[in-house]
Amino acid sequence: MENINAGDTAWLLASAALVMLMTPALGFFYGGLVRRKNVLATIMHSFFILCLISVQWVLWGYSLAFGPDHGGLIGGLDWLSLRGVGQTPNPDYAPTVPHLGFMVFQMMFAVITPALITGAFAERKRFKAFVVFTLLWATFVYDPVAHWVWGSGGWLKTLGTLDFAGGTVVHITSGVSALVAALVLGRRKGLGLEPIEPHDATMTVLGASLLWFGWFGFNAGSAINAGGLAANAFVVTNTAAAMAALTWMTVSWLHKGAPSVLGAAAGAVAGLVAITPASGYVDVSAAILIGLGAGTFCYVGIQLTKRLRVDDALDVFGVHGVDGMWGALATGLFATVAVNSGAADGLFFGNPAQLGVQAIAVLASVTYSAVMTFVILKLIDVFVGLRVPEEEEVLGLDASQHREAAYTI
Amino acid sequence: MELAAFASFAVLVVAWLIAPTKAEVVHIKTVKKAAQAEAA
Repeated sequence: MENINAGDTAWLLASAALVMLMTPALGFFYGGLVRRKNVLATIMHSFFILCLISVQWVLWGYSLAFGPDHGGLIGGLDWLSLRGVGQTPNPDYAPTVPHLGFMVFQMMFAVITPALITGAFAERKRFKAFVVFTLLWATFVYDPVAHWVWGSGGWLKTLGTLDFAGGTVVHITSGVSALVAALVLGRRKGLGLEPIEPHDATMTVLGASLLWFGWFGFNAGSAINAGGLAANAFVVTNTAAAMAALTWMTVSWLHKGAPSVLGAAAGAVAGLVAITPASGYVDVSAAILIGLGAGTFCYVGIQLTKRLRVDDALDVFGVHGVDGMWGALATGLFATVAVNSGAADGLFFGNPAQLGVQAIAVLASVTYSAVMTFVILKLIDVFVGLRVPEEEEVLGLDASQHREAAYTI
Repeated sequence: MELAAFASFAVLVVAWLIAPTKAEVVHIKTVKKAAQAEAA
């Protein structure tokens, strides 16, 4: 107990609370983008996942992700029900913080990751199918990949992958899985034939703002101590988000003739995604360039997805998949030991091998999450059924799945 | 890298100055359409 640092512990617990807020914030971000007949169902996806994964994580998720290593691929079952995870710090993960504090911080990452995917199958997925999918996906996709990258003995960690706060673990896995889900589920009824527009843009901007706020815990909390690295992560996170929002707004202004409010909100989220893996390794100039790339690549990615007629309803692949990959690779370009002496330099600081390591991590997480998500969805389609019937989709998921309405006026 | 950061921000500022000021009013059209349908 003598190793516990009060400042580190306070910052990590506060960060866990900040990251917790991100999941309901995501519900509002997505909720504003759907039609009013589906807003409750969309918010429920995020809220339900907060409850479901909170329980899954303490029962077996944390043990699979961070438990004693098996072949670099998965954690053991030694920490089932948090057996052996107590107030004493674990020196492998957080030497100055109670192990329980580190566990609950990581829980909030496990919560938000499957919630990100829900934007791809909005307005058409059966609630029962969503529940089963989330539980299976968290267990068979998130937990193993988290172990690869962050778990003691994980093969990507051993290889030297730099992922400060979850570019591969959170954003690539969720973004790629979202694309697979959109392809497997198919397009929404009426898409292209009738206007399908955000029902409340103010709700979306509020959600994006709360996401931005919570992201300080996500990235700066990942320093696992209340020191200089946390301050660096905080500053570069804010800078990249701002730069990406400005970039997206500008690109959309030049492309479509107006500075889009929703575009600025989505751009900020894109910047936050891209800086996530890099936030503990890059300086503020690199954050500006990462934000510039995030706003541009993400905007182009979404236009391409729409041109290919893939109904990724709320652009999850464009934002999280594309910018997750950009962020992971940008870490291999801009990382510098001047920011984090315990890490490695990137290509622009004389170490091109780091870019190769980052590319391997991207390829592995893309391939694994795509294949596993496809298998899980196909199994659920056979045994449960993925989509609601057409008449229920037309009626809206609030009424058909939850027998409630968001608005009475 | 600092130079690239300054340059990229400068590019955005220039873009705001030359960006067009007219746009298709998508939302208002849709709102009007919905209102007409409701009235009918």
